[in-house]
Amino acid sequence: MQTKPLKISRRSFLQGSAVTAGALSMGLLDFQSWAKESAQTPVTRIPTICGGCGNRCAIFAFVKNGRIWKVEGNPEANGNQGVLCPKGHGYIHDLYNPNRIRSPLKRVNGSFQAISWEQAYKEIAQKINLILLDNGPESIFWVNYPQSNQAYALRLMHSMGSPHYFTHGSTCFTARNAAWNFTVGKLPSNDLANSRFIMIVGRNPAGGIDLAQVKDIVKAKEKGAKVVVVDPRHNETAILADEWLPVKPGTDLALLLAMINVMVEEKLYDKAFVANNTVGFAQLEDEIINYPPQWAEKICDIPAETIIRLTREMAHEKPHALIHRGYHGAIGAQYLNSFQTARALAIANALLGNINRKGGIYFPESAELGELQPAHPAPAGPAGPKADGTGIPGRYPLGSYGDGISHAIPELALRGVLKCGFVYHHNPLRTNPNPKRVIAGYKKLDLLVVIDPVLSETASIAHYVLPGTFYLEANEAVDTKHYGKRAQVTIPQKVVEPLFDSRSGFQIIVDLASNLGIGKYFNFTLDQANELRLKPLGVTLKDLKARGILPVGQTWKEGFGKLGTPSGKVELASSALENLGYPAIPRWEAPLVSPDDKDPHSFRLIHGKQAIHTHAMTANQPYLMAISRRYDMIRLLINRKRAEKIGLKDGDVAEIKSLVGEGKIRVKLTEGLHPSCVWLPSGYGIFSKYLTTAYDQGLSYNDFLPTLFDPTVGHAMSSEVIVQVKKA
Amino acid sequence: MARYGMVIDETKCVGCYACRVACQNQNHLRENEAYNYLEEREFGQFPHFNREFLPIQCQHCDNPPCVSVCPTGASHKRKDGVVLVNEKDCIGCKYCIAACPYNVRIIKQEGYIEKCRFCIDFVEEGGKPACVTTCMTGVRMFGDLDDPTSAIAQFIARNGHHLRVLKREMNTKPRILYRKA
Ligand code: SF4
Ligand code: SF4
Ligand code: SF4
Repeated sequence: MQTKPLKISRRSFLQGSAVTAGALSMGLLDFQSWAKESAQTPVTRIPTICGGCGNRCAIFAFVKNGRIWKVEGNPEANGNQGVLCPKGHGYIHDLYNPNRIRSPLKRVNGSFQAISWEQAYKEIAQKINLILLDNGPESIFWVNYPQSNQAYALRLMHSMGSPHYFTHGSTCFTARNAAWNFTVGKLPSNDLANSRFIMIVGRNPAGGIDLAQVKDIVKAKEKGAKVVVVDPRHNETAILADEWLPVKPGTDLALLLAMINVMVEEKLYDKAFVANNTVGFAQLEDEIINYPPQWAEKICDIPAETIIRLTREMAHEKPHALIHRGYHGAIGAQYLNSFQTARALAIANALLGNINRKGGIYFPESAELGELQPAHPAPAGPAGPKADGTGIPGRYPLGSYGDGISHAIPELALRGVLKCGFVYHHNPLRTNPNPKRVIAGYKKLDLLVVIDPVLSETASIAHYVLPGTFYLEANEAVDTKHYGKRAQVTIPQKVVEPLFDSRSGFQIIVDLASNLGIGKYFNFTLDQANELRLKPLGVTLKDLKARGILPVGQTWKEGFGKLGTPSGKVELASSALENLGYPAIPRWEAPLVSPDDKDPHSFRLIHGKQAIHTHAMTANQPYLMAISRRYDMIRLLINRKRAEKIGLKDGDVAEIKSLVGEGKIRVKLTEGLHPSCVWLPSGYGIFSKYLTTAYDQGLSYNDFLPTLFDPTVGHAMSSEVIVQVKKA
Repeated sequence: MARYGMVIDETKCVGCYACRVACQNQNHLRENEAYNYLEEREFGQFPHFNREFLPIQCQHCDNPPCVSVCPTGASHKRKDGVVLVNEKDCIGCKYCIAACPYNVRIIKQEGYIEKCRFCIDFVEEGGKPACVTTCMTGVRMFGDLDDPTSAIAQFIARNGHHLRVLKREMNTKPRILYRKA
């Protein structure tokens, strides 16, 4: 799967780089002499946050001789508790990546020309004003992966009158969030450290890194907790587990329904909790009769006696027992039944009486930032709904209006609904399903502006590319990502001067607004805005800058209060769902597609993260890619017996083919994978020629996925794909 | 004088490679130069399956074969137990690489031999080795084996029967002890 990338004219690059020759010699070319001289030089330590993934861990960055040396975890941070993952260490080197762009770029006759910021802003504003006249503000969108400036991106869209602010959520977690919302009113966390029995379904915090969760699992184990991992693949968290349940992919719902069945039939649930704090138990009893463990065994390949035994063990530890709240795998955006699977997972937790309990599922304390108004009046909200149908009955009523359905953007562009887009801290051409369709959609836009330090796939088809700063080069908006037993605020800070002519995300948003004539909504400096946002929290910007992270507000207490659901209780049965035409109680629902049992070449394609890569963002980083290569990790995992049946040996090249894509990749044979599927690590398959380390290494699961929207929240159903695997 | 050593808990490594990159940064290494590595092993047959990652680095042996074969004395053992290479004296003959049973020595692009230094400069300033502090599961423990109050000495006292050394038959007397799976 490749597009033909555009050419950068050499002349324009030279022009662009002339500005920053000084920075170049310090940063890019001279690691060796820097390293030699550095042994004895003084070191500065600056607290900031990591940009290696969405966790935004609190770090200390160490600078020697003006160059970033290393990072350490901030021990105070809820989210990383003093430790860091490999990306946290490795991604810092991307600051000095020679693939970085050096000035704003404009596409002219198929190649990029370096232009000034002023020219870029002026031309973008002119084009947008024409688009506004012809098509209205709803034709403009912004899409980003979560980051600390998102409130300002949303404000920019609202200032223009557009509802179309999107995140990557529909390819990631929207089914999970919706299910928890309908069951307990919001998305909770897991009190892993104090749990006695931890079951994790389709989530792998040791690979799709969540550092604090792994630390907490280890703490719980040291206190004698049992850990069970449910995943078609023996994932990295399973290494820490007492038991691995290799569920047949797409059938986690059957397992969970059977566990609920056992809890109900054997009366193992928390009776007082169910009586006082839930609605719909009688309806649940009626429905769940249909799902005994013997039934589930035939569907999900987990033996009935295992289901019964583990349900009993889990219930024995209640309420200090939990099923992890989940993320992407199984319940986030994977299967037709993901929403119901997430509902079943939430309900099973509630039956344990563990909601907002120590060692159970709890509602973390999260910092509520202050408003910019009245000092800086907010724009009126957009007039209409989102064109993707989120929140609209008959379309995607359960969909997340806030996140939108971002993988629908290409469809909306092809239909002419969206005309102009901003892509920031995101690369949909590589991270959305069915790249041919995504490319066609994004190319249809009258104006595509991408803010990125490098020419990602998406940037390389943009009309304008604005070089955003690398995360260690800029002060940005205060952030609330570190929720937990006590809320924390963090601040991304400038650690070194920006290389090249790049600008911070915050600055670019403000500059765009002023060029678009809506600067009155952005008449503040970053410091002023940050101060206003911190005001209600009772901490000062000065203290936050000095420490990098500060605790705010009260400490979490266990106890059950009124929930944000219509009944104020846990909704085992949801009349709200019933009114919208969905089952009130989760029912078994088969996956949309299944491999053909009789065809030895037919497999479900599933995917997951390796600890060393984040989406498509880190594959171009030589320190991280060196690990992929040294340990031969750019391979398709396949069950050993299935592989042998089709003549594949370890290390052979296989050909994979789906309805929409095909590719070749070497295989790794393992006993640690369910025979019905093959597993592809995410993060590879970079096809932008401007990313020289990552280019053409491995494949992405997105190459094989058709464009799908599940009927509840409109998520991408990213494991509903069957592939043919053959020896190449 | 301290006598430094390390315990590596074989049951806890999840194969994330944070220790590799943290070490590279701490020691100014290039992307293909690493002082530690992982060996992955798989056990059993589907669905009764398990695997483990074994972190390996210079074992700071008390009877180090790399030191005895070094013709210039560049490879040496310090009083505090740390085995080091003095880059100025190293002539790049690679005898030590052949002699080391643990495959932990690398050839630097500059031509001399290097390996895990127990982050000793940083430790002497009061720090802890980068591979120890970054690890989310707490695989490594580092400290003074001679100080009975140190966490590592107490761990060794409590877990004697769970400990092993790599390639004991080579009689290298490693100062990295592994807590067995
Ligand atoms: S998990 Fe890793 S990449 Fe993500 S923020 Fe933390 S250290 Fe950075
Ligand atoms: S940091 Fe810890 S878990 Fe990760 S590879 Fe190293 S020893 Fe293993
Ligand atoms: S002790 Fe220091 S030098 Fe040795 S492997 Fe660990 S981080 Fe690297």
